[in-house]
Amino acid sequence: MTKRQTRIFFLGSTALFSLIFLALTVDTHQRIRTLTHSGEITPAVIAGKHVWHRKNCINCHTLLGEGAYYAPDLTKIAEQRGAPYLRSFLTDPSKFYNETRDRRLMPNLHLTPGEIDEVIAFLSWVGKIDNQGWPPRPILVSGAAIPGSDVGGAAPQAASDDPVAVGQALFRQTPPGCFACHSTAAGVNVVGPSLSGIAATAAARVTAADYTGKATDAAGYIRESILLPNASLAPGANYSANGVSLMPPGFEQSLQPAQLDALVAYLMTLK
Amino acid sequence: MRYRTQAVAYPYFVVALLLYGLQMVFGILSITKYLGPDPLMGLLPFDISKEIHTNVLIVWVLTGFMGATYWLVPEESRTELHSVRLAYLQLGLWTIAGVTAVVSYLFHWTEGNKLLEQPQPVKFAIVIVMLMFLYNVGMTIWKARRLTTTEGVLVAGLALAALLYLPALLTFDNYTLSIYYRWWTVHLWVEGVWEMIQGGLLAYLLIRLSGADREVMEKWLYVIVGLTFIAGILGTAHHYFWIGVPSYWLFIGGFFSALEPLAFLGMAIYAYTAMRRSGLAHPNRLALHWTIGSAIFSALGAGILGLAHTWPSVNKWTHGTMITAMHGHMAFFGAYVMIVLAMITYAAPGLFGHDQESTESPAGVWAFWLQMAGMFGMTMAFAAAGIGQTYLERILGLGYLETQHKIQVHFLMVLGTGTLFTLGVALYLYDFFFLAPKRRPAPAAWPPAPEAQG
Ligand code: HEC
Ligand code: HEC
Ligand SMILES: [Fe+2]
Repeated sequence: MTKRQTRIFFLGSTALFSLIFLALTVDTHQRIRTLTHSGEITPAVIAGKHVWHRKNCINCHTLLGEGAYYAPDLTKIAEQRGAPYLRSFLTDPSKFYNETRDRRLMPNLHLTPGEIDEVIAFLSWVGKIDNQGWPPRPILVSGAAIPGSDVGGAAPQAASDDPVAVGQALFRQTPPGCFACHSTAAGVNVVGPSLSGIAATAAARVTAADYTGKATDAAGYIRESILLPNASLAPGANYSANGVSLMPPGFEQSLQPAQLDALVAYLMTLK
Repeated sequence: MRYRTQAVAYPYFVVALLLYGLQMVFGILSITKYLGPDPLMGLLPFDISKEIHTNVLIVWVLTGFMGATYWLVPEESRTELHSVRLAYLQLGLWTIAGVTAVVSYLFHWTEGNKLLEQPQPVKFAIVIVMLMFLYNVGMTIWKARRLTTTEGVLVAGLALAALLYLPALLTFDNYTLSIYYRWWTVHLWVEGVWEMIQGGLLAYLLIRLSGADREVMEKWLYVIVGLTFIAGILGTAHHYFWIGVPSYWLFIGGFFSALEPLAFLGMAIYAYTAMRRSGLAHPNRLALHWTIGSAIFSALGAGILGLAHTWPSVNKWTHGTMITAMHGHMAFFGAYVMIVLAMITYAAPGLFGHDQESTESPAGVWAFWLQMAGMFGMTMAFAAAGIGQTYLERILGLGYLETQHKIQVHFLMVLGTGTLFTLGVALYLYDFFFLAPKRRPAPAAWPPAPEAQG
């Protein structure tokens, strides 16, 4: 080989692969419209993207797995948590997490209510992007997708007396041990069904024709599910046996009314 | 120093090294925040300390590249630099832009696009600086009518780096597209044109340090940069796995990323054979250390460790974990930090006015080995953290916060080895700023020491 030949090798291969790359880029531009539902990029989504950039979220979090590793991935967070919870969290993260318990706390970024709604719109849009099914299983902010794997951790304390925060902490405590059976991640069904989106599910279920309980609204349905698991059964073969729910009875006695209210308030944020 | 104007490299190296020190401060701060309660949260939260850590890295490495080019081009083209004043002006503007960016981050003014966070006016200033630089170098070569392959590769790399910065000026409404084009700058820099720059500098250093035959070295240089681009251009796809683009990028990314180590392996073999043929006779043994070290460390960090998680079925689980930090640290250090330090170490005696004098001092040697050991340790600690995180959080499904808590010991290890590394950096700065200038050559009347003849 001479120097001339290696130069031709360098120039030729670089030109060739650049061309291939450009051609694929053109094709990607076409296909990205359906993959990312670009029709759903509303002004609110765009405004939310600006909030995301300007507030530097990417230098703590990952989104679509890209960013920094100091804070959890947020690709599916809108679906996992629902807008009401996110609204309340983003207004003041210290209501839900604290530095001594979690070692890390998201600083209060002092977003306006408008910015919060925009960034939630943005995150909801991101969550629906068709991205080859990543993440392959849900990434949780806190808690566990399988029972028992949280061993050794200190019992979570509520970071404030906000009912939603109290309910969230209680949900993760043993007793009552809700989270040993229920994950709050979409699609992760453990002993009981995932409670991701339970507020919406509950609202739909009370109006369904085959509903056997007495509740009239979503909060009532959740309350009833906790107190009288057998009043109506969540669909799914493994959740009940012979018409008896696998959800333990007796929460009526073991939970104080305030605790029950807090649990319901928390679960109502999982839209 | 053969040409008077090569001396402009000195202020560039000064700025680069000072920023290197600053980068360490923010690195140590950032890892400390991983350990939990962060008393500085209100003042300097993690996002800002980390953003400064990475931005300062890019700025100082580029400063080093530019200084190295100003050192190398007059020698290769056998002429004085076109304009020394322009070179100083350029450095001034560049430093102002860099400092402005850092200060604006402290005041939460950011574009929040990972690694391309520079506020828009700073971005424009960067483009102007790049143009000034390319003009100055271009005119020098033009006037001399002499362009060697080594400097051609180096300058082409820098010109392409400037070109590839342009997508960073665009904004897109579709987040997927903004990720797509962000990598045109970031990936094609780091795994494309910067590698080309590294190759050019490596060829220059090997020719100078080992006296290897220029024709042979330059012939293989083409092969190395050819391999770099064959793998690197389509290798961009390893950033396109899960962002909402068509799935053909999965296969392309897996396949071409697997080729990426070839160029780095090529560089390691390149350095090894050059040294074997010509021996390690050059008096500037430290420059030799940094040069060979760069070839080997980048083969490990950028080549092999990159390969560890660019295969889609692996990356699916490791994407966005500390595994990325492991690969990133060693790759950047091996490929770019070390080659810049090699150039600085090589040029230092000339810049301080004592050509051919050996600069090996115990401080310099310690600086080398502490950085090597520190970076090796950090890589291991990040790897352990990444494997733990992947297993607990991604595979078992334990919450992010609980997982971070469980792998905390590895962050302590990062802090420990990072401190070791920082010590090495501090020694390097101490040597460059305080010891090296004082190491005057022996008075002319004395016969030069035998090992000082190179
Ligand atoms: C300084 C780092 C930092 C920045 C900047 C940051 N976050 Fe966070 N974020 C965290 C941490 C840490 C957590 C984990 C919960 C905790 O410990 O507070 C978190 C959690 C979250 C959660 C999940 C809460 C839950 O319970 O499900 C959301 C949603 C979120 N952040 C959104 C954002 C958005 C949107 C931005 C930008 C506007 C942002 N974050 C910027 C550090 C950060
Ligand atoms: C031993 C496992 C177990 C524990 C502990 C448990 N649950 Fe359940 N839960 C279930 C099962 C199984 C179902 C589905 C059958 C049914 O509808 O009752 C269920 C159903 C539910 C539902 C209704 C879901 C739907 O889709 O209709 C809610 C709400 C609920 N649980 C909340 C809680 C709360 C709050 C706690 C803690 C106080 C808790 N669960 C503790 C097993 C459990
Ligand atoms: Fe890359």
